[in-house]
Amino acid sequence: MAKNKNASSAAVLPKGATLGGSRWKRLRQSCPWLVMLFPAVLVVFLFNYLPIYGVLIAFQDFMPGDQIIGPYTHWVGFDNFIRFFNDVQFWPLMKNTFLLCIIGFVIGFPLPIIIALALNALKGKRTAKVLQTIFTAPHFISLVVLVGMLTLFFGRYGLVNNIIAGIGGERVSYFLESSAFRPMYILSSNWQDFGWSAIIYIAALSNVDPGLHEAAILDGASRFQRVLHVDLPAIMPMVSVMLIMSIGGLMGVGYEKALLMQTDGNLGVSELIATYVYKQGLTGVPDQAYATAIGLFNSIINVVLLIIANTTSKKFSENSLF
Amino acid sequence: MSEVLIKNLKKVYDGGVTAVHDVNLHIADKEFIVLVGPSGCGKSTTLRMVAGLEEISGGELYIDGKLCNDVEPKDRDIAMVFQSYALYPHMTVYDNMAFALKLKKVPKDEIDKKVREVAEILDITQYLERKPKALSGGQRQRVAIGRAMVRDPKVFLMDEPLSNLDAKLRNQMRAEIIKLRQRINTTFMYVTHDQTEAMTLGDRIVIMKDGFVNQIGTPEEVFDKPVNLFVAGFIGMPVMNFFDGCKLLKEGDTYYAQIRNAKFKLDDFQQKALKQNGQQPCDIVAGIRPQHISVGSGELEATIEVNEMLGSEVNLHARSDKDEVVMVIPTVDLKTDVSMGAEVKFTTQPKLIQLFDKATGNNLVWYDKQSADACAPVCKAYNE
Repeated sequence: MAKNKNASSAAVLPKGATLGGSRWKRLRQSCPWLVMLFPAVLVVFLFNYLPIYGVLIAFQDFMPGDQIIGPYTHWVGFDNFIRFFNDVQFWPLMKNTFLLCIIGFVIGFPLPIIIALALNALKGKRTAKVLQTIFTAPHFISLVVLVGMLTLFFGRYGLVNNIIAGIGGERVSYFLESSAFRPMYILSSNWQDFGWSAIIYIAALSNVDPGLHEAAILDGASRFQRVLHVDLPAIMPMVSVMLIMSIGGLMGVGYEKALLMQTDGNLGVSELIATYVYKQGLTGVPDQAYATAIGLFNSIINVVLLIIANTTSKKFSENSLF
Repeated sequence: MSEVLIKNLKKVYDGGVTAVHDVNLHIADKEFIVLVGPSGCGKSTTLRMVAGLEEISGGELYIDGKLCNDVEPKDRDIAMVFQSYALYPHMTVYDNMAFALKLKKVPKDEIDKKVREVAEILDITQYLERKPKALSGGQRQRVAIGRAMVRDPKVFLMDEPLSNLDAKLRNQMRAEIIKLRQRINTTFMYVTHDQTEAMTLGDRIVIMKDGFVNQIGTPEEVFDKPVNLFVAGFIGMPVMNFFDGCKLLKEGDTYYAQIRNAKFKLDDFQQKALKQNGQQPCDIVAGIRPQHISVGSGELEATIEVNEMLGSEVNLHARSDKDEVVMVIPTVDLKTDVSMGAEVKFTTQPKLIQLFDKATGNNLVWYDKQSADACAPVCKAYNE
């Protein structure tokens, strides 16, 4: 959870002080809570930490069926990483992934905040609820259905092309056009998720003291100025946390949607690190060690970005993840 | 000039709930008026209608002679201090105080001068660069008052500004507000549920219940001349003693109050008022303030149940027949045994007995025609 400088400093105990008796006594008091936590800890350990063991194959000449650690393990050090850096696909993959993520982030990050602020500022609360439901609904559409919808709308004989043809224009194969991939990918992702992402900000806005708005009204603030001076500062801690988390997952784009939208025509821009990992690790003659190395490299970039974002946020605001 | 005139002000919420019924009030220029009453009596709603934070359902509101029913809050030239302080948490004290002036596009040097001047008055200059969370409750309240002061409003509205403070700080801030009032000398409308605040701060007090105004008067008037049982019970600490099953008697031209077996010949001013009203003998509820009782002799009897020694005075909780009686006796006047279980005789002066009509709850002496008109719905509500 987010950490607040003041809150944490207030909670600091004097050196040597304990909260209610001996460590053993405290442990005994915490027993019910620890028992309740146990299943969650177990699940996280089994599914999040144990598989990290598999990362070792990034440093091996690994073939399916080999032991990860055993007498015949062939360690190759950073060879798989060096191979990736020298791969002709390295820079195109980096560029494609980075551009798709950064454009998606620039458009997609502020959108839920704007929507949440706008819904909160609406006078008619019933209208706001209806709109919120409408905005949230697309989140529940599966990726396959979403890409199917894109095909129906933007396919050669889809709705958009029918309209273009109807007014005398040339039909365009959007799925074969490199230039159409990123806009279609990003806009459809944002359309699907902005309502869902706005929920957390709407929840934060519901905690804003109405007295602040009333004070601002008496101070002469317009509706927009109230959003700017009351609502926005109130959700800034939440925005900071979400920003850090978004930056931390910036390069972590999934392979599914890109793969579903991928065609020979747009392969030059739709081939991402994630799709490349999928193809290297699971299709053709699988090279799982190489795919793991690429995936690990991608994860390391994310961790570095997360640390940079967290440190920057800590330095300039009062909020940080750790 | 900054007078406020409220004519038949009414607030009806969606769903038909009426929070404020026909409030009439004239607040003179530079007057400090306090709206007091229990929770849900409509005092805050009335204040919020004056502020423009609630729509007015009926009636008229004039500020400085101008009809303000549909005037935007910012254009009413008022400032309000909230119970929750409502300070912008991300702004420094300076910015909080300067915010309204910045929105008005007042020149920066003028804002700076004004903010520092007010900060000096409120003794918060050293906190100007702090954020609200780094201040204590009392300091926050000063900032909230300062934020209102920098605007030089025609009317100062305060909605239970001391309720969030502890008892000691509340007393201190109360004194500060009295000093502040003398210094800035403008019109104040102050809402509280605390009768001590009402009595100490207000030039006049408006006592409300269930959306109706029960009485408007100076602190002395509402204490000495309560118009009905509610006002009598609400104002004064400890609460006034009420003796049920009493009678107003008339022998010839002379009125008497009969409490238990004791018969009190009423004072001249009571006789005069009752005669003027053509009052007939009736069942009454007699009210006697705990401070107006003397023990040791008298026509009434009680058994002491609790004895609270407070130093200069002693609070006695006694039982007289069915009624619980509280007496506040100065220690120097105490010449009788008032230990727990002791039987004591007590009495009061007839002029200090409040006579309430058992049927309507109205004071037979002080409930004049004018207040009868104003409070007619109150009596109805009381009886219901």
